[in-house]
Order: sequence, then C-alpha cells, then structure tokens
Amino acid sequence: MIGCEHHDSVAAYVLGALPQDEHERFAEHLAGCEACRESAAALTVAADALPLAAVQIAPPPELKGRIMTIIRTEAELLGAAEGRAQAAAAADAMAAAAGDTSAAPARRPWWRRPLLAVRPLHAAAAAVLIAVGIAAGFLLSGGENARTVQGTVLVASAPQARAALELSDKASKLMVSGMPPPPSGKVYQVWLKRPAQDPTPTTALFRVDAQGRADVEIQRGRLKGVEQVLVTAEPDGGSMAPTSDPVIAARTA
Amino acid sequence: MQLADEDLMQLVRRGDAQAFEVVYDRHATAAFSLAYRMTGTRNVAEDVVQEAFLSLWRSGARYDRTRGSVRTWVLGIVHNRAIDALRRSMVHDRRRASDEGIEERFEAPERTDVEAARRDEARDVRQALGTLPPEQCKVIELAYFGGFTHSEIASMLDTPIGTVKGRMRLGLEKLRGQLGGFAEATP
Repeated sequence: MIGCEHHDSVAAYVLGALPQDEHERFAEHLAGCEACRESAAALTVAADALPLAAVQIAPPPELKGRIMTIIRTEAELLGAAEGRAQAAAAADAMAAAAGDTSAAPARRPWWRRPLLAVRPLHAAAAAVLIAVGIAAGFLLSGGENARTVQGTVLVASAPQARAALELSDKASKLMVSGMPPPPSGKVYQVWLKRPAQDPTPTTALFRVDAQGRADVEIQRGRLKGVEQVLVTAEPDGGSMAPTSDPVIAARTA
Repeated sequence: MQLADEDLMQLVRRGDAQAFEVVYDRHATAAFSLAYRMTGTRNVAEDVVQEAFLSLWRSGARYDRTRGSVRTWVLGIVHNRAIDALRRSMVHDRRRASDEGIEERFEAPERTDVEAARRDEARDVRQALGTLPPEQCKVIELAYFGGFTHSEIASMLDTPIGTVKGRMRLGLEKLRGQLGGFAEATP
C-alpha cells in the first residue's frame, strides 16, 4: 500500500464515504492494486462490525406482517409461473421430439416465466425491480357483499403508489394512486388471471391523473373464478396478450 | 437442525417464502437497528428494512457466499438503502432529537442465546468505538451511520479532506485491532 497515491482513500471507500463517481473509480483501481485490495479487505472487517454498534431494537411485528404478505403473494405467483413454465417446457419437448420445431417459442412471455426473471416495465427507471406493495387483505366493506383488497404495485420508480380492488355484487373496480403515467403511446390495461389459464384481456384501459389516480371499472358484477387482477402497460387500444411485465398484481381473495 | 443462512439463501433463490421468513427472523433486529440508527425515524427505518428485505428476496441470486456472510450482505443492503433514504428525505437534522428514549421503549428482548451473544457483540463494538480518539470516532460515525461523504464531513468539521480520510483509516485500523478475534455469531 505504501507508495500508492490512493492509500488514504481505502477507509473512505469501505465506509461508503466516497462520492459515487469517485467510488466507482476507486473500485476500478482496486482491481489492479493488490496493496489497496489487501488494505480494503483488512479494513472491511472493522467496517462490517459497525452495524453492531447500533443499539439493538426489535422491529415492530406488523413490519414482518407487511413484508411476508408481499413475499407470499410473489412466491405464489412464482410457483404458478414456474408450474406453467414446466408444463410449457414439457409441451415444447414433446413437440420437438415429434419434429415440430414451429412450437418452440422465441421468447416466453412473463406469465409463463418465473416471476424473478421478469424485467421491470421501465428499464430506465430501475435496474432492479423494487416492488413496493401493501398488505393484501380485507380492509373494509361497503356493504354486506362489498370488500376492498389491497394490491401490490411493482413499479420501482413509484414507492408511494398504491392499488386496491373494490369488489361487490354491483361492480368490480380497481383504484390506484401515486402511479406514474404509462410510457408514451401506451395505456394501462387490466387483465384477469384464472387458475391454470393465461391472463385474459379486459376492455378496462386507463391512464392516471396528475396525482397518479384512477378509478377503473373492470366489469359489472363480481369477478367469477378470477384469482388475480393484473395491470400491464400496452400500446394504445390495448392488446390481446400482454406485451410487457405487470405493474400491479392484486389477489381477489 | 437449523439450516445455515447460506443454505436458506439457496431456497430463497428458488422462491421459498418459508426460508425467507427464517432469514428475516434472524436478521430483522440487526437490520432495523441499523436503519433506525442511521435515519433516526421509525417510519423511515421501517421503509428501509422493507425495501432491503424485498430487494434481498428478489435479488437472492446475487448473493455470493465467497464474499461474506448473509448477515453482512443483508446489513450492506440496509446500509445502502438507508443512505438513499437519508439523501432523499434529508432526515439528518431530525435524527438526534428523535433518538431520545427509543432504546428503552423498543430495545429488543434477549429471547435466545444467539440474540444474547449478538447483544454482547454489540456491546463489544460500542466499547471498541469508544476507545478511539474522538476525532476518529466522529468521522467514522458521520460516514457510516450518517451517510456523509468525506467532502461533506470535511466541510462540516472545517477540516481538510486528507485529514478526514486519514482519520477514517487510522480509526478503522484501530477498531480492527480492538475487535481482534471478532467473529460474527452464527445461528
């Protein structure tokens, strides 16, 4: 390390105290400087212990409840998608074995891929999909046969976004707030997902107001046999099959 | 028999919610404590922990056991998220005032031997920090818990950047020496 002009930046680097551009430059330097690498490894031992200096405080139980609700919802989506992917792969294999190469898909759509492989809608908005959701659950009833179910919003750039389904005998509605507008030339489209079926399109197309709000009637009456309501961004006029990843997922029960 | 964190992460990678729950239970207190220490605001700390664990769930494939423990990885995510939150909401100024009294009201109970051991480790780290010269301890705390860059700290303390960097290095070297055989508790 002695003799290296970056000597004193090692500690700032492991503490995360270098500005972003300098941090990236130093990371490149580390790759080629063994002395600084060794020093960084040594100081990281101390830096990694620092979190323990914080007084240990138990998180509120409801935080775990919120997180686990989202996790379980996504795990179910993932499991369903994987099951469907396996079924599709088996069908592809059978078709290939029969010499039918036309059955091989160029790219499997998101509802047939594991959810974790799904890319976020706005590539520029985030490199990592950060779903900020709220607990699915029955929050209120507007009458004996009406209830509201919270959905999960899967938009990295809109942590404040919320979605809820209002389900009653009269109508089924989707209410959103804090949602970013759909990309230029696109519109949000609602899809209905039934067990063991691909999502079916609806005519419920919408954009949001300046506050990211929209109240959308999905259909009159109840959503029979529907396990999830999904929303994707589609070309104006909507699509017959989703062309992008879901931005909202809401279980109906 | 309990699965090690590294084994649990393999299950998490496959979308196993139960494995994730175990990982959460093991590290949520350390994660929340760090987030609260950094942001000083309970609601922001909860948001940071939620974002961090959801990120862990969705990016489990990025965990590399050769680069450290799951716990270090989790706390690294929390640290980065908390810095983002600090820079986003500028909660620095509120932190000190809101810190008061929170420890007594919400301090984690020692439910298991592992948690008791971690409490001991926490005490050791705090004591080790306490042995550092104040000016070294200060720059380390401002950098790590405050999320400030070296230039911000230099400006804050009216001290040259080179001096700030030097204090960081000397402080961390001493801290490493103080902690000596420090090893993370394993569940």
